[in-house]
Amino acid sequence: MTNTAGYCCPIEGMIEPSVPMGYNGPVENTDWSDVTASVQGDDEAYGRLVRRYEKPITGLLWRFTRDPAQCEELVQQVFVEAYFSLKTYRGDAPLLHWLRRIATRTGYRFWREKAREPQEMPLPEFDVLEQIEASQDDAIDPAEAATVLQALLGRLPPDDRLVLTLMYFEDCGTLEIAERMGWSRAKVKTQALRARRKMKEIAEREHLLERLGWTF
Amino acid sequence: MDILEGLDELARRAREEATPVFGVSDAVRLRILSERPQTVTLIPLGLFGGLSALAASITLALAVQFWSYVTSPVMELVAPLPAEIRLW
Repeated sequence: MTNTAGYCCPIEGMIEPSVPMGYNGPVENTDWSDVTASVQGDDEAYGRLVRRYEKPITGLLWRFTRDPAQCEELVQQVFVEAYFSLKTYRGDAPLLHWLRRIATRTGYRFWREKAREPQEMPLPEFDVLEQIEASQDDAIDPAEAATVLQALLGRLPPDDRLVLTLMYFEDCGTLEIAERMGWSRAKVKTQALRARRKMKEIAEREHLLERLGWTF
Repeated sequence: MDILEGLDELARRAREEATPVFGVSDAVRLRILSERPQTVTLIPLGLFGGLSALAASITLALAVQFWSYVTSPVMELVAPLPAEIRLW
């Protein structure tokens, strides 16, 4: 059985990949063959998929927690969840997009669960701003910048935090965030506007620019 | 620099951060194996069911057969004693 993109679909009951509107690139042939093999129970094929996409998924989940142990746990959760949902993957977008959607929702769930827990004491990352002295423009390295930004974002409620995290770190537009989360685009726009306003207040309260030495 | 521009600049630099890689493929495989639902094999289950049915049939056949030999203890009470039997 061959679909319009020229890929075979040997598994009964599995939906063939199709090329949807708005998506011009085909699903990687190697991905599709590994997906079909994985659905048929080939663990080695799934292992190849995990190794292929582990880096970008870890990169995304690193924005949800900077704790390596928690991050690794989330990455594992994503790939386990993806494995059991693999039959629903239609191949109408690259596998990485599909995995990113699962990862974003996993990270969001993680935040919501954490938000329900009583905060016993201020998180250590909240002190990061205290550690950064007013410095030269080039003094802040990417890891420091990410730590500061994540500490600031951590003061927002999960919905606001998610929208801004995806905008700042993943360079996502409102449409992509809406698709990843299954939200309406209007909701994302409103959320983004509100979140940026709150973020501005937090950054001003923390004298962020002065501390970073960016008052030019 | 505006504060929002500052945040955008911070984000631009943060995006350049090298993120760790953990090598989770083995752990994922183990978790999948432990979470994979166990498929119940139907052949032993069917065999067990068949043997149970056979045993039940044999038991029933024997029970019906022996039932006809059983005399009611009530009938024994009302039945006249045979004359030839001396009670004492």
